[in-house]
Formats: sequence, structure tokens, C-alpha cells
Amino acid sequence: MSVRRRRTRFVWDAIGLALFVVISFPVYWMIASAFKQEDELNGLTPTWIPLHPTLSHFRDAMNRPFFWDGVKNSLIIVSVTVALSMVLAFLAAIALAKFRFTGRSLFIVLIIGIQMLPQAGLIIPLYVVLARYHQVNALSGVIVTYMTFVLPFSVWVLRGFLLGIPKELEEAAMVDGSSRFGSFTRILLPLVAPGLVATSVFAFITTWNEYIFARVLLNDQSKQTATVWLSYFTGTSRNTDWGGLMAGSTLIAIPVIVFFLIVQRKIAFGLTSGAVRG
Amino acid sequence: MTTSEIPGGTALAAEATLRPRRRRPFTFARVLRAAAPYLLILPVVVVIAAILGYPLYHLARLSFQKYGLFELIARHGTDVGWANYSSVLHDHVFWQVLVRTIVFTVANVALTMGVGTLIALLLTKVSSVVRVLLTAGLVLAWSMPPVVAVQVWLWMTNTENGLLNYTLTKLHVGDYFQHDWYATSFSQLSLTTSLIVWGAIPFIVVTVYAGLSQVPHELVEAAEIDGARAWRVFKDVTVPIIKPIFLVLTSLSIIWDFGVFTQPFLLIDQTRINTSNELMGIYLYEEGYVKTDFGRGAAISILMLLIVAVLSVFYVRKMVRTSDEAT
Amino acid sequence: MKVPFIAAAALAALLAVVASTASAKPTASKRAAATKITVWLQVDAQSGWPNLVAAANQQFQAKHPGATVDVQYQTWGDHLSKFDATLAGGNTPDVIEMGNTEMTKYMAAGAFTNLTPQKGSFANSKNWLKGLAASGVYNGKVYGVPYYAGSRVVTYRSDLYRKAHSKVPSTLAAFTATAKRLKKQNTKRGFSPVYIAGTDWYFAMSFVYDYGGQIAKRVNGKWVGRLETPKARAGLAAYKRFFTAASRASKTGTENRPQPYDVYARGQAASIVGPAWFTCCVGKKYTKTTKQFVMPGHVKGQSMPGFLGGSDLAVPKGSSDKALATDWIRIFTSTASQRGLQAKGNIPNATNLLGNSVNERAAKRSWFVPTAKNWVNVENGNVLRTMLARILTGKASIAAATEFADSNIELTLNQ
Repeated sequence: MSVRRRRTRFVWDAIGLALFVVISFPVYWMIASAFKQEDELNGLTPTWIPLHPTLSHFRDAMNRPFFWDGVKNSLIIVSVTVALSMVLAFLAAIALAKFRFTGRSLFIVLIIGIQMLPQAGLIIPLYVVLARYHQVNALSGVIVTYMTFVLPFSVWVLRGFLLGIPKELEEAAMVDGSSRFGSFTRILLPLVAPGLVATSVFAFITTWNEYIFARVLLNDQSKQTATVWLSYFTGTSRNTDWGGLMAGSTLIAIPVIVFFLIVQRKIAFGLTSGAVRG
Repeated sequence: MTTSEIPGGTALAAEATLRPRRRRPFTFARVLRAAAPYLLILPVVVVIAAILGYPLYHLARLSFQKYGLFELIARHGTDVGWANYSSVLHDHVFWQVLVRTIVFTVANVALTMGVGTLIALLLTKVSSVVRVLLTAGLVLAWSMPPVVAVQVWLWMTNTENGLLNYTLTKLHVGDYFQHDWYATSFSQLSLTTSLIVWGAIPFIVVTVYAGLSQVPHELVEAAEIDGARAWRVFKDVTVPIIKPIFLVLTSLSIIWDFGVFTQPFLLIDQTRINTSNELMGIYLYEEGYVKTDFGRGAAISILMLLIVAVLSVFYVRKMVRTSDEAT
Repeated sequence: MKVPFIAAAALAALLAVVASTASAKPTASKRAAATKITVWLQVDAQSGWPNLVAAANQQFQAKHPGATVDVQYQTWGDHLSKFDATLAGGNTPDVIEMGNTEMTKYMAAGAFTNLTPQKGSFANSKNWLKGLAASGVYNGKVYGVPYYAGSRVVTYRSDLYRKAHSKVPSTLAAFTATAKRLKKQNTKRGFSPVYIAGTDWYFAMSFVYDYGGQIAKRVNGKWVGRLETPKARAGLAAYKRFFTAASRASKTGTENRPQPYDVYARGQAASIVGPAWFTCCVGKKYTKTTKQFVMPGHVKGQSMPGFLGGSDLAVPKGSSDKALATDWIRIFTSTASQRGLQAKGNIPNATNLLGNSVNERAAKRSWFVPTAKNWVNVENGNVLRTMLARILTGKASIAAATEFADSNIELTLNQ
């Protein structure tokens, strides 16, 4: 690499590192606080690094009732929601991006319109509907509710990705004589994979952190999600266990990180390099 | 649908000309191809209709009824026609809140999309170590539940022992001893903006970066070899490809930021919310749910829906038109 | 044909999930002769006195063989929205714990069962704490059974008070003098002899009631704001004097941010005013030297009326077995149970059970908010907070601020 290129690389890297520090600082503060002793958490001068780190907050958090239930329920609800939503949304996005059909505009209006609705207004009517189908206090009720909120934006974002695929790649596949559906899976899917990953991560995080519907729809504490479990730290009329809250939040963030690490390799730069010849 | 728009259509047309006498318009393959889009969107439509169909109808009907706690328990409201809408539209607070929310939305969306896109571009230019680090940092920020993020923000901006006051005083920027960051509406909403933008940037970065990965490397290199400067390359090669995604993200950001509720509500807190710092989402919550006036809340919800539709129509039209060009 | 197959498989998977994870117990809106009752208690019981709940459940099940109790713990922030949803869906709990300020709105809307005929059967019902019992009565009928209460006391640093040669003050004037002495001796920037947040209306209104005033009164069926009366204004003037002398907190600040005990634990306050359980969180350094006393009024021998917080237990009208639900409440509020609550630092629900702790002594003189169905709207609209902020910052005279607040209160309460 030339000297000039190395120097610009260095400048970009420096900026990137500075951004990393700024963006992850609040997360660092949360994790550091989880290890701080009580008097440090509330000290007159803030401390950057815990002076006498302790694991007691983590132990307290995990010993709180229904911690493992919360994690388990969240994992079930979120995985099923994300998996089903990605499949359904991808199919619908293909229809929107590749076909012209009557009713297309209506479908688009539905997709966009739903997202414009303030969710707060829907809580009680939704509860009434689900109660009628016996889906209150059931994980499946929460799953279908989450799907209705995840599907619209997933369809919309995936459509954007599908439209971005250069036409040459599609037509190259057709000329090869492969069937349409064969071309979809072999050519389009890898191209749209980064978009699928980005959307699935968004769906995962949004549903993982969702609170109000999980709270209203699930009654048994054994069925509650991790975010609802977390709300019990601040829901008491007495003092809040801040150390425990931070420790609990750190623990609950772990599955999200794991999920991201699993799928992040698909967001690779230059996936299309070599696909377009000439 | 013309034959050239259906992938494989040219092959079908060729086949038809070779065998001009066998005209069977309703072959299974033909019917399937016509029905394909409907089959593809069917599952999504079914799920949405089943779950949201009744609530949406109910919400619309509620907006024309007087429906407070008493009516909720009796499970029966009284029709009042346009009274709810009229009372909201005549409430001068509603208009103040609307203007404030529009300004707030513009600021948030501009910052989110601007900074997010710049960081996504930066990701293409850094070494892989830094890229992994920065992406990890973004995902960590993204995954923090809003409740926890608000708490960290409150700690950092705490009047007495917050990091912000401490650091600013130590750096001799001014005397920030026990400066109350929540004293003025402007300060409260600026802090809310910083929180929301911080939480929203990761999605933009990851999605735009994913879009950038669809830009064929060869085209970029070819343009650079031709002597085009970075800005030209960006404009002529990159932008056309990520434009659909960019429009999608902007429209979604407008929709989300306009109706945002959790962050401002938790950050400012019920004890400090008043008509000079309310945003639309909070106004809906206060008027509809805190005062248990569900009919009015429904009317405000419908009005919010219409307003957001108007605000984002420019982007939505562009998106639909872009797809028309593509198909 | 891969795509339709995928679509069909996805749909099948969805239906399978729905079928398999659906709740086994039907949550039909009409439960016939249920042998299970659902009880909603706040999470304070789960962390504070789970043994009392368990004991009540055991007694209940012994008395009604075949019947079971499902206790579901709620959080203060959203238990009302959950309750609203169950009211709409027709599957309310059989017993619900409500904050005493939350009761009136729901009583007025007809959410609860009338318990007046059974009132005599509840333990110590003749001696129920006036302030708490009043919160469960609407139009002369009893809808809520008092559960427990909490009052406000002064938590203080006995070492700093000793250094200032101060004993426990018996009048407001003595307390003010103590505060001035403490201020001279502790000159660290931001130190408060008595840390009070400016808009802490629970504390400020105590002054109004101490001087014989009140917030609002019902006259001929309409609510009239009474903050403009001379007595109320005198109380507010006394509050302003006390605040100026004793507190370095923000004039526009609230009493939950920061929490007073956090300020105390940092060594920035010699005393704080709040619930008695504040002693839990004063920090390791000051635990040994922390004591409490009852806030004195301006007349010698009389304590300042403290805001009486607390909870009631009610039976929603939609309960399918009101008799069982009422019996559970009867068992849970028995004298033995109340003694248990008292041992945990709470104020029991009857005057004959009151002991001599600081918390309970403070409850002897208390005040409560107007029992209007729209009172919560006044609270949530921060009417009193705005008034206090304007008075303390000098933006408005007491006369002007109280007039403005009264008109707001009247507008809201009479809606």
C-alpha cells in the first residue's frame, strides 16, 4: 500500500476508533456500573473504573424470581417471530419488487399505513381480540402480535434491497435457462442476504426489547419475557436496586450479541464482486 | 404484465411463436404465474388482517364515541359524532405540540440519516479490526433496552454527581456545578434527541452498509481508474444502488420519530411533563390514557396517522415510483 | 415449485405454533363457579412480606378445600393499564391491590363490588385508619378494604445535629433555627440542612393543612379550590420560609430525581423528609448515625400532618366468585397478618393496632387528597408542582400562583 493510502487509512481508523469510544460509552457505563459497589454507584464524584468490582449484583439479579423463565420465554418468542417474519416478509417483498399486480398499491398502503399507527392506541382492542381466541397469557398470542408489527417494516426494507439488485444479475440467470424459482434461491438469495440479516437483527432487537404488549398480554410471571422481568427492578414503590438493574440489563443483552455474532458474517463487503463480468 | 417484465417471459414468448397452433391460455404454469404475487403476499395479509383487523375497526369507531373508564367497564360507548376530533383540533395545545413534534422529527431524522450514512461509508474505509470494533459498538448500543439507556442517560446528566457536570467543570468549560439539564424544554428535548439518535444510528449504519455491499466493486474501481473523485464515484455509482434503501430508511425514521414515546417520556418523567415540552406521542398518552378518555385518544391516533402520512408522502411516492422504474 | 412450498410450510409452522403453545386453561369471559381466584398484589409484597401472602393462601385453602389462589405480582407503573385491558376483555382478577390515590377514579366508574354489607366481618373494621378508609368509600358505600399505610418522617444525621447542639425540634420554628445552625456549620457547596425538592407537593401541602387550610372542598356538588384562602396561603408562605432557610435543592426539582436518600448518602444533606423506609438506603457510612423523628408543626405539641400513602384491596365487579375473593381479603387483612406487616415497618390499617414507631406516630395527624374522581388528572397535570415552582422562584406571588392553581383544579375536578 502506498504511503498516502496508508496515511488516509490511519486517519479513517482513528476516526473510527473515536466513534467507537463515543458510541459504546453508555454501554460501558452500564456494564461498569453492574460491577460497582453501592457506595461507588452513588458516590459524589463519578468513578470511571470500578475500584472494588463485585459480582454480587449479578448473583442478586440471577436469583430474582423468574429470571431463567424470562430468558427462556423471550428466546422462544423472539426466535419464532423473527424466523417466521423473515420468511413471510421475504416472500411478500419479492411480490412487491418483481411483480406488477392489481391491488399492489393497496398492499403498499397497508404496509406503510400500519407503521404509522401509534401502537398505544391498539393495546386494549388487541387484548380484546386475543382474549376471544384464548391467546391471552399465551406465548403464541405475543408471537402473532409481534409478527404484525415486524412484518410491515421487514417487507418494506427487504423490498428496498431487492430493488437494489442490478438487473444484469437476474437476466444472466434467466439466460442460463434456469427456472425462475431456481434463480431466486441460487442468485437472489445470496445477494439479498445482507438485507435479510440487517432486517432480522432489527426484528430481533425490537422484539427482544419490546415491553408494553408483553406486559399486558402475559399474566403469569412464569410466562413473562426478559424485559418484563427487568421492569420489576423499577416497579416497586420502594428504592430501586440500580446495581441489580444494570447487571440484569447486561445479562439480557447477551443473547442479542450472540445472535448478531452468528449472522454478522453475512454482511460482507464485496459479496457481488466477481458476479458481474465485463 | 408484458412478457419482458416476467423473468423467463422472453423464453415463454419464444416458445409460443414456435408452436403457434397450441393456444391454451389457461395452462397450469400460466395460472400459477398470474397467481404467484397473490400467493406470496397472502400469509402477510392473513396475519395482519387476523390480528389488526378488528382493533383498527374498533379504533376508528372509538374515535366517534365518548368512551371513558365508565364506558370501558360497561363495554358500551355513546356516539358523539365528530366531537372528539373537534375538541382536539380546537385545542391550541394540539397545534403547539404538532409544530414542536415536526421540528423535533426533522432534527432527529436529519441527524440519524446523516450521521448514520457517514458512519456506514466510514465502515468501508477502515481496516477490518476497526470495522469489527465499530460494528460491535453499534450493535451493543442498539441492543440496550430503552429503559436502561434512559437510566444511563439520567446518571450521566445527573444534577449532583453526573458525569457530564463533573467533566465539563473539570475541563473548565464553565461552571456546571449542579447544573440542572432538565430545567428548560429545549434542554430536555435536546437530551432526548441525543438519546434517540444514539439508539437509531446502528440500524441505519448496518442497513446502509449492507446496501453498500451490493455495489459491485468493479464499477467503483473502474470509475476510480477513470480518474473520478470520491464524490463523483459516490454520486454516480453508489447512490443509485442504495437510493431505494435510503428512501425506505428515511420514511421509516420519519414515521418512528414522529410518534416516539418511550424515550422522551421516561427521560423527562411524568413529574416534569407539561404543555411546553410534550411531543405527539406523549400528548396522545396524556390525553387518551392518563385521563382515561379512550375516545379522544382514538381520535388523536387517527389524526397522527393522517399527519404522518402527509409528512412522508413525498418519500413514499418516490419509493413507489422507483419501483415502477425498476420493474 | 419452491416458493409456494415455502409459503405453505411457513403457514403450517405458524398454525402449529399457535396450536401447541396456546394456553391450556380457557380464559373465557364467563367462568362458571371458579375454584381458582386470581389476586393482583404489588411487587412490594413479593419482595417485602412473601411469608404473609403464603400464610394467607394456606389459611384460605384450608378453609376452602378445592379452591386455589393464583397471586400475580404487578408493578406500580403499569398495573392500571393492565387492569383497564382486563376490564375491556372481561377477565379481571378477583382481588386487586390499588394505591389509595388510585381508588376514587375506579370507584366512580363502577369497577368494584360493593362490600358495605360485609364491612363488619373484616378485622378491626371499626377502627380503620380514617385517611386510609376514606379512600375506599364512594357515595357512602365501601369498595376498598384498607391494606397498609405509610407516612412521612424526617430522617436525620444525629452526629451533625449533636454538633449543632440541637435536640429533636418540637416546633417548626425550632426546626428552622436548627437548620440555620446546621448551615453555618456545614459550608460545603450544595449542602442542605434539610434536603427538600422544591416541587415536593406532598411535603408542601402538609404546611397548608397544618395551618388549617386544604386543597379543595366539595360545595353544593361542585369542587371549589381552597388554596387561595388565607389559611392555605399562610401555610405556603411558611413553606417558602422553611425551604429558603433549609434546602439547597433545586427550586423546580422533583422529589424522585434525585432520590433524597441518595443525596443523604453522599453526605450532602443533614436531614431528609420522606417515607420511613428511607433508612434502607442511607449508605454504609451513615447507617449507624441515622435516626428519625416526626416532622413538627408550627404549633407546639402538634406534629405536622403527613401525607398518608397506602393501599386498599378491592374486588372487581367482574369477579366470578365474589364470596371467595372477599374471604381471601378477610384472611389477608386479619390482625395476625397486620401485625406481620407492622413488623416489616408498615403502618397497620387500624388505630387499635398502632404502635409507637416514628412512622406510626407520624400517622396520628395526616391529610389526604380530595376524593374526586378526576383528582389524578390534577396530579398528572402537575398543577401543584407548577404552583410551587412559581412561588419558590419568585415568578409569581403566592396570591397569584394560588389563584391560578385553584382555577386549574376547579376546571379539572369538575370536568
